[in-house]
Amino acid sequence: MNTQQKVPVTILTGFLGSGKTTLLNRILSEEHGKRIAVIENEYGEVGIDQALVINADEEIFEMSNGCICCTVRGDLIRVLGNLMKRRDKFDYVLVETTGLADPGPVAQTFFMDDEIREEFTLDGIVTLVDAAHIEQQLGRSDESTEQIAFADVLVLNKTDLVGTDGLDNLEARLRDMNRMARVVRSEKADIPVDTVLNLSAFDLDQVLERRPTFLEPEYPFEWTGVYSLQPGRYELSLAEGPDPEMSLVIIADQGVDDAALREGAELCVRRYAEPAKSVVPGAEVSLGEHVSLQLQEAGRKSFFLNVDAPVRVGLYAQHTAEEFDMQLLDADKGTIPVEVERIWVAQHEHDDEVGSFAIERTGNVHPDRLNAWLGELLRERGVDIFRMKGFLSIAGEPDRFVFQGVHMLFDGQPEKPWGDAPRLNQLVFIGRNLDEEAITQGFDACLV
Amino acid sequence: MSGMNTNGPRGVLRQGWSAAVGDYAIAGGWVSGGDVLVVGDAAGSVYGFEGTSGSIHWEHPEIHEGGLLAMSVHPDGARFVTAGQDGRVLIWNAKEGQVSHTIELGSGWVENVAWSLDGQRLAVSISRRVHVFDVDGQELWKSDNHPSTVSTIVWSGTGELATACYGRVTFFEASSGEILQQLEWKGSLVSMVLSPDGNVVACGSQDNSVHFWRRSTGQDSQMHGYPGKPSALAFDDKGGLLATGGGEDVTVWSFEGDGPEGTSPGVLKLHIKPITALTFARRGRRLASGARDGAVVVWSLQSDGQGFPTGAALVGGKVDMPDVVSGLTWRPDDRGLAALDASGGVTYWRVMDR
Repeated sequence: MNTQQKVPVTILTGFLGSGKTTLLNRILSEEHGKRIAVIENEYGEVGIDQALVINADEEIFEMSNGCICCTVRGDLIRVLGNLMKRRDKFDYVLVETTGLADPGPVAQTFFMDDEIREEFTLDGIVTLVDAAHIEQQLGRSDESTEQIAFADVLVLNKTDLVGTDGLDNLEARLRDMNRMARVVRSEKADIPVDTVLNLSAFDLDQVLERRPTFLEPEYPFEWTGVYSLQPGRYELSLAEGPDPEMSLVIIADQGVDDAALREGAELCVRRYAEPAKSVVPGAEVSLGEHVSLQLQEAGRKSFFLNVDAPVRVGLYAQHTAEEFDMQLLDADKGTIPVEVERIWVAQHEHDDEVGSFAIERTGNVHPDRLNAWLGELLRERGVDIFRMKGFLSIAGEPDRFVFQGVHMLFDGQPEKPWGDAPRLNQLVFIGRNLDEEAITQGFDACLV
Repeated sequence: MSGMNTNGPRGVLRQGWSAAVGDYAIAGGWVSGGDVLVVGDAAGSVYGFEGTSGSIHWEHPEIHEGGLLAMSVHPDGARFVTAGQDGRVLIWNAKEGQVSHTIELGSGWVENVAWSLDGQRLAVSISRRVHVFDVDGQELWKSDNHPSTVSTIVWSGTGELATACYGRVTFFEASSGEILQQLEWKGSLVSMVLSPDGNVVACGSQDNSVHFWRRSTGQDSQMHGYPGKPSALAFDDKGGLLATGGGEDVTVWSFEGDGPEGTSPGVLKLHIKPITALTFARRGRRLASGARDGAVVVWSLQSDGQGFPTGAALVGGKVDMPDVVSGLTWRPDDRGLAALDASGGVTYWRVMDR
């Protein structure tokens, strides 16, 4: 037996016409020094000399136990099982799926079959998206949403056919569905090959190094303004805006640097989780309280804030100040200048059934509680959880614990020691109809 | 260290010869009454080795472009058949090592070939269908497409052809191709054997179980608890014992009495990596096992499935980096055993009576 490295495998998915063949050809021509095997579905059309192209029917094998995570691609087991016997082994394998394929069984094949797992490693899932047609496809088929949800890289292709605004909206929608993926734009799948190959996306050691976008959490507020105030009575004045009410938390002792803003944001996320107190125009807003400003009346409206001692306050508002022409005035109607302001990645309305969210918490988790919670979650919702990934700080353990999963399959291991780094947990979930609130609460209950 | 052969054959296995093919040894078999051992490899080459010395009798490099996938020796030992990724089936004259008939089946992998026990027919599978030919390569019939790729084919002693694919075992009448019986099971059937009387069908399944049916009663059972896929299965010549891989142990089910349902199997422990090959001697309850640990063990079994090792050897002789045993074949007189391995090694031992 050889002790060579495992052969990396990239899965290319995407609807017919999304540019898979173009990308495949591009990879094969740029990586011409390597021996690459391409496993295509029966309708594939690639013909390249230096690559071995094998046509395989997509044969989805479910098991008698009905477990979705045991569902594998039988043709891949057979074909790869034969390919790995050759002495002149392949450097890389590309598996192209049909546009109608659910990526789950393809990915699971590399975890569920012992012989395949011994020789191959799933490097990443790349989904090609036809920017001009994906909106229709998303409305029509589960497969296209699943292909987006499973992806490590989303190639937004044929961007020349769609305007910039349309692309931005589309990208925002895709990011809502899959916060883990890197989104790259292209006109004719003309992206650097290293954006799609050798990602080590399923390698636990790489979970942290890639700094995926999910580490930028979503906040329930869009805007923060920091003001330095002397003792006195202040007026918060708002014009008519896009919403008949707006959530707001004002906290005291707000710093102005980035770390202080993030700290304030974490605090306010928790305040936002509490039910908001309705505040009508003319009434007072207390520091540290989650309020809902009632803005139904026509014209400008004012709310009041009393300050006893010199303080720097942070206003964490559901909308930006600009949207309501929001101003903070002193008793003489003088405008208080904003010392620092910041726009956050706001939570969007989730129209799609398939979505993703991240949990980020400082502190440690209790190992038994976490096991019990995660076990139950995967048992009950594993069908709907397409992928998850992240790291945990387990109480009593010196090492950071990294994990990733596909449906019910969970793979985790201790990584490097925490050392002096602040102990932190980050998890991202991608799936269908996931109850973010319940899952987050479940996780919070595991915190020590 | 690795140069020293400190692990010579033990017990009933005695030093024979070793040879090499160009790539992973895929399949082999004895022809010409045991005078020649034929071996095919992953590069698509076919070799004939002189049975007593191991010297190369003839070789045909890369005759199956892309690689050889399957081989079957005709019961008369005078011919054999090979198939490969090139979509071709070659019928060979064993004595001269020459191809006598070539069958082109188009693009696709020909993954299984099997001569019927009476030697009258040759069955091959490509993708989702089987074709049956006469001894001269003339097609007699072909099946419709199965629901998925045919994973394995076996002829019964009563002249039926059995095929396995995902979810189904099908029995075809030998001369007409008429479907005689279908056995359904929701699972990926990766291996299949029939008892000599054709009554018991046993299949290894991707979900780490062995499923079997008694065709006379329609009764079926499932044997769970294997740590891996049971891809190696073997019935003894009387049909009383079914040896199964699916892990490091060889698990032997006895069909005596009311068994194997409700009985405890014999569990043969010696290998330290998963079993890759199992084959009974032509006569008697003598079983040879090969594994990913590079070891080959000969076992003597009792009618209840219990047994003990009577001989053992390593292929390749590299203790620190063992080769994976990829195939085992008894010489027709049971007085020799050849092992194929993943590094292209071919090792032959003489086998003593106990």
